[in-house]
Amino acid sequence: MPGILGAFRELDSTTDAIHALRTGNYGDLTVYTPTPRHEIEHALGDPPSPVRRFTLIGGLLGVTFGYWIAIWVSDYWPLVVGGKPIASWVPYTIIGFEVMVLVGALSTVAGMFINSRIPKLTMTVGYDPRFSHGDYGVWVECEPANASKVESVLREHGAVEVRREQ
Amino acid sequence: MATMAHPDDAGRSQPADRSPQLPNIPSANVQLPAVRDYEQVDNEIADTLRPTLGWFVLLGIAIAMFLWGVFAETFQIYWGLGNAGYQPPVMWGVYIITFVFWVGIGHAGTLISAILYLFRAGFRTTIYRCAEAMTVFAVMTAGLFPIIHIGRPWKFFWLIPYPNWRYIWPNFKSPLVWDVFAILTYLTVSSTFLYIGLIPDIAVLRDREKNPIRKRIFAVLAMGWRNSDREWRHFARAYLFLAAFSTPLVLSVHSVVSFDFAMALTPGWHATIFPPYFVAGAIFSGIGMVFTIIIPIRKYFRLQHYVTLNHLDAASKLCLFTSLVVGLAYLIEFQIAWYSGNAVEKEYFFNRVFGQWWWAAWIMLICNMVLPLSLFSQKLRRNTTWLFILSIFINIGMWFERFVIIVPSLSHEFEPWQFTAYSPSWVDMSILMGSFGWFFMWFLLFIKQLPVVAIAEVKEIVAPKMRHRPHHVTPAGYPSNQEPNAIGGGTH
Repeated sequence: MPGILGAFRELDSTTDAIHALRTGNYGDLTVYTPTPRHEIEHALGDPPSPVRRFTLIGGLLGVTFGYWIAIWVSDYWPLVVGGKPIASWVPYTIIGFEVMVLVGALSTVAGMFINSRIPKLTMTVGYDPRFSHGDYGVWVECEPANASKVESVLREHGAVEVRREQ
Repeated sequence: MATMAHPDDAGRSQPADRSPQLPNIPSANVQLPAVRDYEQVDNEIADTLRPTLGWFVLLGIAIAMFLWGVFAETFQIYWGLGNAGYQPPVMWGVYIITFVFWVGIGHAGTLISAILYLFRAGFRTTIYRCAEAMTVFAVMTAGLFPIIHIGRPWKFFWLIPYPNWRYIWPNFKSPLVWDVFAILTYLTVSSTFLYIGLIPDIAVLRDREKNPIRKRIFAVLAMGWRNSDREWRHFARAYLFLAAFSTPLVLSVHSVVSFDFAMALTPGWHATIFPPYFVAGAIFSGIGMVFTIIIPIRKYFRLQHYVTLNHLDAASKLCLFTSLVVGLAYLIEFQIAWYSGNAVEKEYFFNRVFGQWWWAAWIMLICNMVLPLSLFSQKLRRNTTWLFILSIFINIGMWFERFVIIVPSLSHEFEPWQFTAYSPSWVDMSILMGSFGWFFMWFLLFIKQLPVVAIAEVKEIVAPKMRHRPHHVTPAGYPSNQEPNAIGGGTH
């Protein structure tokens, strides 16, 4: 999909441009920022990240597996001590907890990777190395018919460079 | 990652009746007034990656120490564990002491990177990367010691539950198996946490790098990170949950290590105070090691305006607090022994401070309880020379704490005819030295390949460029032309 990339030096110019582009509904926006800023998050108004679901499911699977492996092994290879129960839930809570943290943490990372669409083998269209340095970037995926309007909105709000890419 | 400073902090200045020479800045509001813009952050932190002669010398020393340790371990494998200085019934010695020591060192890293993140403690921002790397390398070091200790290191995998044709499984009621789960989880989660936090910073290095080989390596490590809003949104949430998982994990790991002792009926070990006592000690020892590492780094990398005296002041308060908790635990142990009415327990604790091992106990008490009291003085909290010297004493004191827990208990158990002495051999001490070589080798390699200060997080507390409206977050508490190190004196 072709689009227009605008580079900004200032944070408020970037957020103003985002507001204007969202109001005009010109196309999908991707904003590049050297550090996470709440101002950009609020301007974009994105929904909460679904990573939390990965965390919850991973944690539940982990704790289930942790208890299960300890109970199953004890039952399979019983070591009866003093007539006490073979499956002893108190010490097995340690195993359950540790495996919950392990699987939950790894699922969280998997959730982040899947939702962020990384790893990426190539740098996608519309990125400039200056966006990891100090500048902000706004990438608008739009139809060629809207391109000149988008360019003028970006320039109007203080973009230091505007270019078309595809 | 969330922005640390709150908008309301902007206009908050020090009370007028306080001397400007002694600012008492809340730990959540430690700012970087000498850091002006994002470009400065990138340039100054990326500059630390250039290798220097001094770095090569230190790396050479670390590798030599490590190789000497490898030689001692090879000797021990060939001639047997009898060379380790064990003397029945003291069959846990330097290896288990050093295992507990290194696991403990790791804890401060997770405390600073995860727990202080959840508490929004601003002073963690510039020191957490070092502390987190320290955690990973300390746990890597600790993990070697149970393997060395078992004498037949090639059989360590028997502790891991895996399907096998003999249908033999580990005993899940054993604290040693809990240890395997706790340490492996801790190593995996802390490494993951370190790496995830590094990704945006590696992307900065990738975009600056001119050397095509290094650029390609950074590109692979950054995994195509582009600083897009989508990536930051999911990154912030994942980072928060990783911090939330690491917080109980750090408390559980040293509690599990303490169960190795507390589950046994040995005098001095069988106490319910052990888990909190071990966790506090671990965090205290780790903060000591953070000071040992961060003070030379800030000086030789010229990062005094990132790791300011205000940062060290705030970290010193944490050090003082954990020292007080540890000191209280030492005293309560004596109280428990006295109140128990158990003759063996009372005899053991008397022996600990006035008997055979008095010297070790007093090293522990002086280094961990008495010397840190100096941190009640703000002048000393802001004196980096004193903090560095104190950190060395804390490291020594905390190693001796584990010595005092392990050796006197085993050498002075129930039966007087079993009472014995213990002295480490050259093999034990060489492996101990080798562990420091191994730890510092990894750490030195890390600080010249990857940023020691988190670039993206530092940028969060630097006021962004604005076109029309001044940004509401400004470095609070300082006039714009005043540098933090100029305040409060202290040596740099």
